[in-house]
Amino acid sequence: MRKIFAGLIKIYQTWISPGLAPRCKYYPSCSTYAADAVTEYGAKGIAMAAWRLVRCNPWSHGGVDYVLSKSSNQPIKRAVKIMNGTN
Amino acid sequence: MGSILNPLYYAVSWVMVTFHSLFGYVFGKDGNESIKWSLSIIGLVIVIRIILIPLFVKQIKSQRALTALQPHMKEIQKKHKDDRQKQSEEMMKLYKEHKTNPLASCFPILAQAPIFFALFTVLNGIARNTSHGVLKGDLLVSAQEAKFFGANLSNTFLSSDSNTQTKLVTVVLIIFMSATTFITQRQLMVKGMPKMDSSNNMMLQQQKIMLYVFPVIFAVSGVNFPVGVLIYWSTTNLWTFGQQFYVIKRNPTPGSPAYEELAKKRELKNKTNGALPIDDEPGTTQIDPGAEQPKQRQQPSKKKKKRK
Repeated sequence: MRKIFAGLIKIYQTWISPGLAPRCKYYPSCSTYAADAVTEYGAKGIAMAAWRLVRCNPWSHGGVDYVLSKSSNQPIKRAVKIMNGTN
Repeated sequence: MGSILNPLYYAVSWVMVTFHSLFGYVFGKDGNESIKWSLSIIGLVIVIRIILIPLFVKQIKSQRALTALQPHMKEIQKKHKDDRQKQSEEMMKLYKEHKTNPLASCFPILAQAPIFFALFTVLNGIARNTSHGVLKGDLLVSAQEAKFFGANLSNTFLSSDSNTQTKLVTVVLIIFMSATTFITQRQLMVKGMPKMDSSNNMMLQQQKIMLYVFPVIFAVSGVNFPVGVLIYWSTTNLWTFGQQFYVIKRNPTPGSPAYEELAKKRELKNKTNGALPIDDEPGTTQIDPGAEQPKQRQQPSKKKKKRK
C-alpha cells in the first residue's frame, strides 16, 4: 500500500509536475513530503500529507518543513533528484 | 457524495441559468439557445476567475516584495552553489522570515476542482434528463438542445449517440487546451521566473512533458468529458494565459527576464523623455539600480536598434 502510494507520487513527479511551473510554498514540496510521510507513517502519513496541502495555501508563508523520522525524530532528507519548488 | 455537493450544483446551475436569462435580453427571448447556453458556461468561468483574482493580486504583491530580498537571494545562490537542497532550504527560510512567498501554492487549481466536478455532473444531468439545482423544466429541455458548433453541450466523444460533429469539436478543444497550457507554462518558464542555474535542464524536461504527456492526458480525460466541460476548461486556460501575459508585461517578478526587459524599457523611456520611471514602489527604485546598474547601462543602445 505504501509503495503504491509512493509510486503514484513518483509518477506525478516525473510525468506531470515538471510540466507545470514551480508553485509549492514549502521545501520539500508537498508531493515529496507526502511520499516521505506515507513511507514513514502509513495511513497517518496520508492525513499528514493532506494537512500539508491545506497549509500550503495563499495565506501561508511556507518555509522548510521535513517529515520527521519515527525512530530518530530527525528530518528525513533524501538525495534531491527533482527540481525544487514543484508541487 | 451527492448531498455534500448539492450546494455546488445549485451554485453552478444558478450561475448558468442567470447568464442564460441575461443573454436572453441580448439575443432576444426566442434567440439562439445554443449561443446563450455556450456563453453561460463562459460566464461561469468569468465569475469563478473573478472570485479568484484577489488571490492572484496577493501573489503578485508578494512577488514584488522580492525586490528587497534580491541581494540575499543572490548571496544564497552563491553560497550554496553546489548544494541545491541547501539552496532551496535557505530560500524558503528567507521567504518565511520576511513573510513573503512568491509561489502560488496549489490552492488556485484545487479550488476549481469542485466547480469543475459540479459542472460535469450538471451537464451529464442534462444529457440524462435529470435536473440538478435550478436547471429544470423548460430550461432543461432547452439546454438539451443547445449546441456548440454543432456538438451538443452535454454530449461526450465516447457516448453512443455522439456524431462526427461532436467528435470533431472535442478534438479541436483538446488541441486548444494542450496548446494554451503549453504556451502559458512556457511563457512563465522563459520570461516570468528568476533565472536559475539548472533552468535549462528543467525547461527541456518541461517542454518534453508538455508536448507529449499533457496532450495525452487531456485526450484521455477529454473524451470522457461533455463538450460543455471542455469549453469551461478551454476558457479558463485562456483566462490564465491572458492574466499571466498582462502580469509579465506590466508587473514581472523581480529577477526574471521579463523584469529586466521592463527595466530596460523604462530606462529607455527615461532617457528619451527625461521623465522619471513609472514606479509606484519606492523599494524598487532604491535597491534595484545598485544591483543591476552595470548591466542596464550597456543595454539601451541595443534596445534602441531593435526598436527602429
